[in-house]
Formats: sequence, C-alpha cells, structure tokens
Amino acid sequence: MSLVVGAVLLVAAVILFILQPMLSGRRVSLLRDMDEPTEAESRRRVTLLALRDVEYDYATGKLDETDYHAMRRELAAEALQALERVESEVAAGPGGAAPALEEEIVRLKTGLRAGTTCAVCGTDNDAGSRFCAYCGSPLVPAAQANPARPGTA
Amino acid sequence: MNVLGELALWIALPVALLGAILGFVAGHRQRGDLQLGAERSVYAVFGLTILASAGIISNFLYDRFEYTYTYSYSNRELATWYKIAGLWSGQRGSLLFWLLFLMLFASIAVWTNRRKNREFMPYVVGTLSTIASFFLVVLLFADVNPYLKLGFTPPNGAGLNPQLQSYWMTIHPPMLYMGFTSFTVPFAFAIAALLSGRLDSRWINITRRWILLSWFFLAIGIVLGMRWAYEELGWGGYWFWDPVENASMLPWLAATAFLHSIQIQESRGMLKVWNMALVLFTFTLTIFATFLTRSGLIESVHSFAQELKIAYIFLAFMSFIVGSGIVLIMWRLPKLKSENQIESFLSRESAFMFNNLILLGILFAVLWGTLFPLISEGVTGTKITVGPPFFNRVNIPIGLILLALTGIGPVIAWRRASKQNIKKNFTLPVGIGLGVMAALFAVGVRPFEEAEGVRVFSQSHAYALATFGIASFVMSVIVIEFFKGTRARARIENEPWPIAFLHLIERNRRRWGGYVVHAGIVVMFAGWAGSSFNVNIRQTLQVGESAVIPSPLGHDYKLTYEGMSTTAATAANANSNLAFQLVALLRVEKDGKVQDNLTTEKRGYIAQDQPTTEVGIDSSFLEDLYVILSDVPNMRGAVQNEPGAQTATFTFLVNPLVGWVWYGGLFIAIGGLIGLWPTLTGAGEPARTPTVAAARPRRPVPAGAAGD
Repeated sequence: MSLVVGAVLLVAAVILFILQPMLSGRRVSLLRDMDEPTEAESRRRVTLLALRDVEYDYATGKLDETDYHAMRRELAAEALQALERVESEVAAGPGGAAPALEEEIVRLKTGLRAGTTCAVCGTDNDAGSRFCAYCGSPLVPAAQANPARPGTA
Repeated sequence: MNVLGELALWIALPVALLGAILGFVAGHRQRGDLQLGAERSVYAVFGLTILASAGIISNFLYDRFEYTYTYSYSNRELATWYKIAGLWSGQRGSLLFWLLFLMLFASIAVWTNRRKNREFMPYVVGTLSTIASFFLVVLLFADVNPYLKLGFTPPNGAGLNPQLQSYWMTIHPPMLYMGFTSFTVPFAFAIAALLSGRLDSRWINITRRWILLSWFFLAIGIVLGMRWAYEELGWGGYWFWDPVENASMLPWLAATAFLHSIQIQESRGMLKVWNMALVLFTFTLTIFATFLTRSGLIESVHSFAQELKIAYIFLAFMSFIVGSGIVLIMWRLPKLKSENQIESFLSRESAFMFNNLILLGILFAVLWGTLFPLISEGVTGTKITVGPPFFNRVNIPIGLILLALTGIGPVIAWRRASKQNIKKNFTLPVGIGLGVMAALFAVGVRPFEEAEGVRVFSQSHAYALATFGIASFVMSVIVIEFFKGTRARARIENEPWPIAFLHLIERNRRRWGGYVVHAGIVVMFAGWAGSSFNVNIRQTLQVGESAVIPSPLGHDYKLTYEGMSTTAATAANANSNLAFQLVALLRVEKDGKVQDNLTTEKRGYIAQDQPTTEVGIDSSFLEDLYVILSDVPNMRGAVQNEPGAQTATFTFLVNPLVGWVWYGGLFIAIGGLIGLWPTLTGAGEPARTPTVAAARPRRPVPAGAAGD
C-alpha cells in the first residue's frame, strides 16, 4: 500500500515539476544574451588572438620579418574593421546608441589608430607606449606602416 | 529502494521523451515556458536515474540474488566496494551507468547555461533528451533491464570475475564512461547550431572545454585500462588490440582530430563542414563503442544472434544520428562556407589538416581490424582473428608519421611559413634526433638481431630505433618552444625567467597544455618502442633453485625461488571472497646484489572454477621485472602445504621502458589539466572591450535568422 502511495507521489511530483512553468506562465529567455559576444565581436577576438600568435611566432623566429610586418598590418586592419562592425551593430540596435557610447567608440577608435588603446583589454595607455600597462599586450597602431620590432632596443 | 528504482526507470522514459518534444517545440516556436519545462525534465530524468542506480546498488549491497543482474555479478562474500562497483561490472548495469553520467553532464550543461547561450538551449535540451530516451528504450525494451528477475531466489550469486576485482577496474570504466557521455554535450550544441542556424564558431567556443574534458576522460580511462591489463591480466603487456580496447580508442582518436581541427575554425574560419562532420562522427563512435562492448557482438556474431533486439535498436539509433546529421549539414551547407583559404602549403593550417588525415587513417585501420572478424564471420561463418600483427603493421608507420607531425606542427607558423625559417628551426631538433639515434646505435640498439653469429634484420628493432629518433626530435622541439617562448616573454616583459615561464603558460594555456600533452605522447611512444626489446623466459623451479634472466640493458637478474606459502579457506577467513591463496616468494639479485623480494600468486575465488594469477612487478625507471606464477602442477598439494608439492613454473619478463607509458599518461593528464583549468583572471583570453559590450542593448534574435 505504502508502495503505491509512494509511486503516485513520485509521479505527481515529477509531472508538477515539469508542467508548473506552463501552468503558471513562468518562462525563460530564448534570446541571445546581453553580454554574449556577437559574430563581429568574436571575429574581432579571433583577430586579436591571431595577432598574438603572429607576435609569438615572430618572437620565436618562425616568421620572416617581411611576412610578419605584412600580417600584422593585415590583422590590425581586420581588427579595426571588426570593431567598426561591432559599432554599427550597436548603432543598429533598438533606439540606437547613447551619445556617451558614441563618444566612447570615437575615443577607442582614435586610440586604436594611434596605438595607445590596447586592442586586447581596452585600456588607454600613454602616448609612445609599446606595451599595455594593464595586460602587457603589444600595442599595435593600425595605421602605422612599419612598427617597431618587439624585444629590440 | 529496489522497487522504487525500477519504477523510476519506467517514469524516466516518458519524462525524457516529453523533454525532447518540449525542447524542440520550444526552439521552433520560441516558447520560453515550454523551454523551462524541458530543462526541468532534464533534471527530473537525472533524479530518476539516480534513484534507479541507487536501487541497483542496494540490490548488490543487500544480496538480492532474485535479480538476474545481481546474481550474475556478485556473491555474498564480495567486498562492499566491488558490490557498489556492481553498477558498472556488467552489461545491464553499465547501460544504466551510461545514462547516469549522461544525465549528470546534461544537467551540468543545462544548469551552467541557464542564463547564457539561450538561443542554443532548446535544441541542446531536445538533443540530450532524445539520447536519454534512446538509452531508456534500450534499458527497458531490449532485454537488458537490470531489474529483471530470475523467478526464484538462489542462495548465493555467481560471483564477480576475479580479474575485475581490482581497484583499477573500479575507476577505469567510470573514466571511460565519463569520456563517452560528456561528448554528448558538444554534439548537442553542434546539432543546436545546425537547427538554430547560428553557425559561426560560437558553438565551438561554448563547448571547447567540454570537448577537452571528454578527450581528457577518454585518455585517462584508456591509460588506466592499460595499467589494469598490465597488472591484472598477467600476460606482461598492456594493449592487445582487443575489440574492447579498440572501442575505447576510436572515439578518442576522433576527438583528438576534432580538438585540432576546431582550432583552425576558431582562428581562420575554415573547415566548418569538416568540424560538423567530425563531431557527428565522434559522437556516433561513442555510441558505437558502447554498442560494440555492451551488446555481446564481440564474443561472436552467432551467440549475438540471440540478442538481436538490442542490436537492432542500437543500429537504428546510430543510423538515425548519422542520417539526420547528414541531412542537417546538407541543409545548412550554404551557411557553412569557409571564410578563408589556406594561404600556403607551408603553414600550421596544412599541418593540422595533415594531422587530421593521419588520425583518421589510424582510426579507420583500427575500425576495420575490429569489424573485419565480425563481418567475415557474418558472411562466411568462420571467425577470423585479426590480432596485433595486423594492427602493428598498419599503425606503427602511420603512428610514426603522426609523432613526427607533433614536432613539425608547432614550429611552422600560422598562415605562411618560409623555407628559411623552417630550416633554421629544424636544424637543431633534427640534429638531436639523429644524434640520439647514432648514440643508441653505438650502445647496441640496432635494427637487426644476432642469433648464433648470423645477423637478421629486425623490423621491430628498426621501428624502435626510428621511434627513439623521432621522439627525441619532437621532445627537443617542445623544449625549445618552451625555452624560446619564455625567453621572448622575459625579454619583452622584463620578467625573471621563472615568472615569465609561468606567465607564458597562463596566457595561452591551450597551446602550452597541448605541448605538455604532446610531450606525454612522445614519452609513451618511447615506452612502446621499448617493448620490442622485451625478454620472455619460462622456467620450472624447485624451491631453492634460481633462474638467470638477462636484461636488454646489459645486466643480469638472478631470481631464487625461496618458497611458497599457502592460505586455505578456514573459519578465520570465512567471510573473505578467497578460497585459497598460493604465494611464491622470489629473491631478486641484480648483478649479484640482493635488490628486492617479489611475490607472485595463484588465487582461488569462491564461486569461480579457474584460479587466477597475481603477478609480481619490480619497477624501475628503465625497466620492469615482471614475474608470473604460470603454473603449479600439484595445485591441490600446494594448497594443502604437502612437502614437495611446491614445484612451480614461472614466466620471467623484462619489459624495458614500460614505465614510460605510465609517465607519458601522467604528462597527458597534467597537460589536459593545464588546458582545462578554469580561467580565474580571464588572462588566457583577451576580454572584450567592456564598455561597448555592457552598453549593448538586448536584441531579440529569431533563431532562424541568427548568425547571418
């Protein structure tokens, strides 16, 4: 007898547990999350990782100097392009971007072009810095034609 | 508990089916309420599976032999720990055990993603629940229900196979099962990516850790299995290309290929179709491995015919997975276009692709060798055994190419490497490899054997010499990589070397963890190569007599048979599972110096006819001395301790470098952990620009349109 009662209770508990959201209207989100990277952002992240690999490959003598400079320029340009796409995604969002945000983007863009904003962690560094004061990544001026070789001088 | 457990199993099936339906409908209709119900059903099935498993364990602990499964794998005298392990000692229980781990990982995946990656989750839950339903159908309808009753209650159980009564055996299967089942999560995310249409690398980013985890468990499980075979099976080796061993190796090979190829997709946006196909293939292989080892197929196709039901269910499910996977990939083909092309043949991308081909080559050779006897038996009616010679002949050369690639890949740059650089980077490691080969040749490791003054070419020795050369080449590449990386970092960051070394690993744990794994593989290869110099001598000794065993390293072992002790079943050990125990004691002298005492045993277990053998192993860094008590002609007399009945036949083995296989396994475990360790500071990956990300408003993304 107690067995039958136990079984019924178990079945009832399971059914209630699963159907409760549908009956009470509770729901979970099925939307992409706020802080989940978009495709453009992942693109940018991947580009930055590739940049890190290029730096490493060059520092350990796996890349020729000419290839290294060419690839660095390409990747820095790609990173910038990806960032611009991130911006346009933000602007295309409902209501557009807040003015403060636009300023922020302009600041980042200028910083990245000049090579003072770290492309990896977003920290602003003093002009003339070659490595990020916060995370230590090399600072890559996107527009600079012939960047200094790391580890020398 | 037992009745409740059986009931839980029956309730779990409709709940899992409901979860699958709710998940897929929630994804299709974008219904958050249905999705919440679907996620809860995953937890519910997990809970019910725990109940069902607890019921089985209680059947073992309370000696309920009226259940077929308990009767077949236990007896009253079995140690408690092995009774608990009864859950996974036989086919019926281990299928439930599979489900238990599957639901554990499914619940972890659902719980950790309850607030993120939401667009994937309905399909993830749907896929996971479908797979759970499959295993429940097998358990309930394929005549493998662990709650099946005999119809009467035998006084005692048939007992557990003594070879399974080893602590390795209690941890090796769970490891493997965790490896098999945790791969379901990446598979579910891949299916979710296909169904939701979000086909960028996001699903790979989410599941990278899961893939590595699954790979890690499989690797550890396989090595533990080897260790168990070495200690417990008593033939002196650890790998016999047995179908059960092969079954565990197949998904590991596929997962290894997958771990490498996803890196190309992540960094270069290439190989998207390939990765989808590979995740599908790897998952199918985990199911296939379970099918192969747990359906009775291996023993014989014919004895297997009696268990056709489970085979049909498995085959139908595998066809369903492969078929629907292919349809989904074809459907999404336009969205799976490569974003880049290989820029140069001399690039790490092409090295990675080559690595994939080689791994799959080995995989298909193993698969073919495993299936061929079954196919042949099915067609011609006679069973052909495909043994180690086939596997070794095919896999050693391919394996050596793979080993060499392990050293070549890291030195070649991404995208484009130049010939000069490759030359520059390879000169030293190749030199070291050749130097090691020359040195070994000089000390006597030669590609031929001398028998009575005649030189005969020995292929296994030639392979061993080549392996040592390639292994030293790869090892020096890895050491140089660590050295150069640390030097570069120390210089750039102006850090002291030890700090620079730690930061180097911390900043890119995947790369450096990977290199540590490679180092482990290298050490393991060296260990395998050592086996071609094994010494195997069989000798019958009276008490007091000695055997002299030459080691390939040049010294001699002298083993003296000191005597045999016996323990017969008495009232004192009535509770023990042992009927008797014969322990032979041998004194080991190495070059005349007493080194150690070794014991080797014959054991008789209650409820088992055949006595088993416990080997004696004296391990050192370079070789193991391995002694097997092969035969005691007058076993009854020896047990009764009759004078003169102690004559025994021993097999003496010297296994050079066998320990390196375990050291290699340790390296692999450490490397895997380096890669798996949670990033606390986020230092391993560049963070996204926080300001922009935080300010981005939440946008609705319809599942079908995402990822365009």
